[in-house]
Amino acid sequence: MIITKKRDFKELIENIKNYNKFFLIGCSECATLCATGGEPELLAMKETLEADGKKVTGTFLAKTGCQVLGTKVELKPFKEALADTDCILVMSCGAGTQTAVDLFKDTPVYATNDSLFLGNMTRLQMFDERCSLCGKCILDKTGGNCPVTSCPKGLLNGPCGGTNEGKCEVSPDLECAWVKIYNRMKRIDQLDQMRKIVEPKDWSAHKNPMNINVREEKEESKK
Amino acid sequence: MSFQQSLNSGKFVVTAEVGPPKGTDIKEMLHDAAALKGKLDAVNVTDNQSAVMRINSLSICKILLDLGHEPILQMTCRDRNRIGLQSDLLGASVLNIKNVLCMTGDHPNAGDHKEAKSVYDIESVQLLKVVDSLNNGKDMMGNEMKGATDFFQGAVVTPEANPIEPQLMKFEKKVEAGANFFQTQAIYDIDKFKEFMKSARKFSVKILAGLVLLKSAGMANYMNKFVPGIIVPQDLIDEIKAAGKENALDTGINIAARHIRQLKDENICDGVHIMAIGAEDKVPLIMERAGLL
Repeated sequence: MIITKKRDFKELIENIKNYNKFFLIGCSECATLCATGGEPELLAMKETLEADGKKVTGTFLAKTGCQVLGTKVELKPFKEALADTDCILVMSCGAGTQTAVDLFKDTPVYATNDSLFLGNMTRLQMFDERCSLCGKCILDKTGGNCPVTSCPKGLLNGPCGGTNEGKCEVSPDLECAWVKIYNRMKRIDQLDQMRKIVEPKDWSAHKNPMNINVREEKEESKK
Repeated sequence: MSFQQSLNSGKFVVTAEVGPPKGTDIKEMLHDAAALKGKLDAVNVTDNQSAVMRINSLSICKILLDLGHEPILQMTCRDRNRIGLQSDLLGASVLNIKNVLCMTGDHPNAGDHKEAKSVYDIESVQLLKVVDSLNNGKDMMGNEMKGATDFFQGAVVTPEANPIEPQLMKFEKKVEAGANFFQTQAIYDIDKFKEFMKSARKFSVKILAGLVLLKSAGMANYMNKFVPGIIVPQDLIDEIKAAGKENALDTGINIAARHIRQLKDENICDGVHIMAIGAEDKVPLIMERAGLL
């Protein structure tokens, strides 16, 4: 899921100081699990804004805020409230924010959160980054652990000189990705794979902005 | 004799490090370098070491070359992508710089521009292969070039890394990728270093033992605590302590000289790389006491 963090509130207030009537959009997926844009956070934001003398015209929890068409349909009952709104606050990720930008051409939209990474939830509200969405997976070469993500240098051919009793030089809280990979490959009897030089990564596999049309690709593969 | 010729001749070679300064005043650096002239087989010029922004390695290599030194260009992958690295390598080649030391490079987190976007488009093993490719007249994509480079390329290794196995696997990859010589992270325990050399001697590459001059007991303790892969044994720390504050540096010089002498006399490795870290003027004294001058 997409991990988000609440933005600095002062910065947000500065952005929206010239507006008075707000509509708040949260998301029932990632932002709810991150406690940055679920029902309680929408309510808290409403109270904060109202305490500041602002008006909140409505609050809405999108089922999946990155789904543009679905969100558009879900927003239909809020037509009146939205007509009386001069600023929209989106309490999900950057993708959710830009769904709103797509849907409301004439209304300013602000994000209340910073989007951080694609995370695995390890325990309640604890998240780790395991995948960087680099576009060309190398997990088959590294025993299923991703050094592109978990090594601060993204090394592909083994640990640097900064590895320190299984920890990373960048932070003692961080496990050395390559010691982890080594231990894993030893356990699954794939050290020979680790001895092979991994060639430079094809970074062209991820070029901003990415887009994909799965339906078209399916049609193509049928031909 | 060039650095490459010296190494291949079987001579016990000595290199030392020169760190380009931050800023344009290079008087002090040139003064330090002058003290080393004619004494070393090569002088190693660091590339924004510890991720602290300074003059680039290439410019200082060229200045030192013109002054009659033989420079080793350190190249890290932290700040340049594959286009920049290859382009700088071609530039170094036309400036007649012959030796290149390929490294991944310290993370920006260690330096004075922590907010920098680190590049690491490729890393040390891959950079060695890139140099090999340029030496063969092709860029890393296989495109033919007008004129090949003629680099003598080396790499680094940490003999006291813990755990050692993945470090040794990477060492072997660097050999396979074309490294001709290795410069090690600082070593202080010669017996442990001999163990590493047993693994290294299986390959036809030259090994220069890294020596960091101990300037005080505090420095030794600091490195033990904060520098991964460096272990200063307690008996050396005690030796410096026993000598007293005024004699600490002198004792450090003696330790370095003693280690060099042992490495050479017992034919443990092919040479040494001295990192004096701010006390470059003491390098000739170390060499003198080691019986190399």
